[in-house]
Amino acid sequence: MTDALNKFPGVMWPRFHRNNDEHLNPYYTFQDYRQTWGMTIFILMTTALLPLIVMTLIYYQLIETSINTESLLRTERLASNARRAVTFFLEERLAALTFTVNEMDYDQLTKPESLAEVLRNLKLGFGGLTDLSVIAETGTQVAYAGPFNLEGKDYSHQPWFMECQQHNACVSEIFSGYRDVPHIVVAVKSMRPDGRFFVLRATLETERLIQTLSSYKTGEHADIFLVNRNGLLQTPSQFYEGESHQVDISLPAYSDRTKAVISTDRNGQPILIGYAFIETAMAPTSFILMVVKQKAGMMKVWLDLRSNINWFFGISAVIIAIVITLTSTVMVNQIFHADRLKAETMVAAERNCQLASIGQLAAGVAHEINNPLALINETAGYVKDLFTLKHQYKEDTELVEHIDSIIDAVARCGTITRQLLGFARHFDVHAQPINLNDMVTDVINFHKKEAEYRNIKIHVDIPETIPLIETDRGKLQQIILNLVNNAFQAIDNGCSLGVWAEMEDPEHVRLFIRDNGCGISEDHLNKIFEPFFTTKKEGKGTGLGLSITYGLVKKLHGNITVQSRTGQGTTFVVTLPVQLKEETRV
Amino acid sequence: MKVLLVDDEEKFALMLAKRLELRGINTAVFFSGEQALGTVEQGNRFDVAILDVKMPGIGGIDLKRRLRQLDERMKFVFLTGHGSTIDNAAVDQEVENCLPKPLQIDVLIEALNRLTEEP
Repeated sequence: MTDALNKFPGVMWPRFHRNNDEHLNPYYTFQDYRQTWGMTIFILMTTALLPLIVMTLIYYQLIETSINTESLLRTERLASNARRAVTFFLEERLAALTFTVNEMDYDQLTKPESLAEVLRNLKLGFGGLTDLSVIAETGTQVAYAGPFNLEGKDYSHQPWFMECQQHNACVSEIFSGYRDVPHIVVAVKSMRPDGRFFVLRATLETERLIQTLSSYKTGEHADIFLVNRNGLLQTPSQFYEGESHQVDISLPAYSDRTKAVISTDRNGQPILIGYAFIETAMAPTSFILMVVKQKAGMMKVWLDLRSNINWFFGISAVIIAIVITLTSTVMVNQIFHADRLKAETMVAAERNCQLASIGQLAAGVAHEINNPLALINETAGYVKDLFTLKHQYKEDTELVEHIDSIIDAVARCGTITRQLLGFARHFDVHAQPINLNDMVTDVINFHKKEAEYRNIKIHVDIPETIPLIETDRGKLQQIILNLVNNAFQAIDNGCSLGVWAEMEDPEHVRLFIRDNGCGISEDHLNKIFEPFFTTKKEGKGTGLGLSITYGLVKKLHGNITVQSRTGQGTTFVVTLPVQLKEETRV
Repeated sequence: MKVLLVDDEEKFALMLAKRLELRGINTAVFFSGEQALGTVEQGNRFDVAILDVKMPGIGGIDLKRRLRQLDERMKFVFLTGHGSTIDNAAVDQEVENCLPKPLQIDVLIEALNRLTEEP
C-alpha cells in the first residue's frame, strides 16, 4: 500500500517528462519519450473510441430515419382516416337533401308546414341540422323552416349559391352569414317541371364536425383542424388559434391523395404536416384537413434515451481516456526507467572500458619498459660486479662503454614514457583534424611486439588520398584499439591482420579491419554489438568491448558493420564522417 | 658448470653472460633458439640452459622441448619480461624455474646451483 502511495507522484508527474540527462541520450531506445507517450495515447484512444463514435452516429442516424418514416406514415394514416370521416359527414347530409328534392316537388317543399316536417325528419334521421330553406332561381329565399326567420333574404350573390348552380350541389366554407353564428351551408339544386331550378339549402351546426375531428386527435403534440384554401382556420386549432385565424403554414398544391411532409413551424421547430383536400362525391369543398404534429414532442422519448446514451458514452469515454492515459504513462515510464538503467550501465561500462584501455596501455608500456630495465639492471649489476669482484678495473675504458649502455637503455625508457604520455593526452574530448594513417600506426605499434612473437603479419594500407578527418581523437583511437584487440584475440599465431581505408563518398571515410581468424558464426553475428555478449569463457571477457565500440562510433555520427564467415575471418567496417557535425563539436 | 644462455635481447644476454663468467660460470650466449639448437646438435653439452620465454622464431618453451630431445640431462631456467596472457599457460607449467626480468643475479645463481646439485 505504501509502495503504491510512493509510486503515485511518479505516475502523476512521470520521470520521463523531465528527462534532462543529455549524456545518456545516445543509448536510449526512443528519441523523445514525451512524444512516444503522446503517440501511444493518441493511437490507443483513436483505436478504442473511433469505432464506438462511428457506430453510435450510424445508430442515431438509423433510429432517426426510422422514426421519421414511421411518424410520416402515421400522420398520413391519421389524415386519411379523418378525411374519410369528414367526407362521410358531408356526403351523408348532401345525400339526405338530394333524397328530399327527389322525393318532394317544389310546391310541396315551399309549403312551410311540409318543410318543417322534412326538417324534423332530417333532424331525427341525421341530426346536426339547424334549419332548412328553399331558394328560388333568383336567389330569393321562398320557404324557411328553423329557428331564425330569414324569409325573403337574397342569396344570389352568395358564393355557395353560385357554386351550387354550377355543380348541382355545394358545400360552403364555415361562415357566420346573416345570423352571426358559424355554420356550414350544404345545398342541392333541383329542376322544376317548367325548366327553372330551385335550391334546397340546409344549415349544419359546426359542433358535430368539430367533435368528429377532435375524436381523431391523439396526444398533446398533435393538432387536427380544417382550413380553407386561403389558409383561414375553419375549426379550432390548438397550435394556430389567433386573432387572424390564419394558419402560417405554406399550403400544398392540390392533390386528391393524403400526404405527409416534414417542415418547420414559425419558430423553426420541425413539424410533421399531414394534409388532405376534402372532396365529396357530389361537390368539391374548399376544406383542407390538416394534421400537425410537433416532431420534438414525438421524438421526446427517443431524445431522452439519446441523452442517456450520450451521458453513458461520455462517461465511458472519460473512463477509457483515464485508463489509457494512466496505463500509457506507467508503461512509458517503465520503459524509460529500464532504458535509463541500461543507458547508465552503458555509460558506466564505457567509462570502465576506457579505464581498462588505459590499464591495458599501461601494461603494454610496462612490458616495453621491462626489456630496457632488464638491460639497465644487468649493466649496472655488471659495473657493480667489476667494482666488487675485480678491483683492478678502476681505470678501465670498458666502464665508460657500459655506462653508455645504461644511458642508452634509460633513453629507450624515456622514449616509451613519452609515447605513453602522448597517448594519454588523446583522451581529451574534442574534435580535431586527425591523420588516419598516423592513428592506425600508433595503435598497431602497441601490438607490434605481440605480433612479432605470434608471427602475425599486419598490413596497413591507408592511401595518401584520405583527407584529414575531423573527429574526436580519443574516441577514434579507442574504436581502432578495441577492434584491433578483438582481431588479435580472434586469430591464431601465423595469421594476418589487414587495416585499410577508402572514401565512401566525399563526406565519409570507410575503415576496414580484417582478420583471417576463426570468424563469427551467423547466430552470433547479429548479437555481437549487444552489451554483455561474449563467446569467451566466463571471466575472460566482459562482452562490452564491441558494444562500447558501437556506442563510440555512433557518438562520432558514424556506422559500424561486420561481415564474417566461420573459419575464414571477419571484417569490421567503420564509416565515419569526414567532418563532425557542427552542433556536436566542443 | 656449463651454461647455455639464449635471449633475443643481445645486449642483455651479453651482459648477463659477463656477470656469470665473473662468477666462474662458463656461459655460451646465443640470440635465437635456432642458433642454440645448432650448437647442441653439433654435440656441445651444457648443464643448464637459461632461456627467454618470448623470442621471435622458436620461443623458450618450444626450445626446451627440442633441447630435451637432444640432451635428456639438461636442466632449464626461464626468463620472462612479460606477464602477457599469451604466455601465461606456458609460464604456468614452468613456474618453479621461471625468473622475472629485471633479474636478481643472486637468485639466478642460487637456481643454477640448486639445479646442478639435483640428481
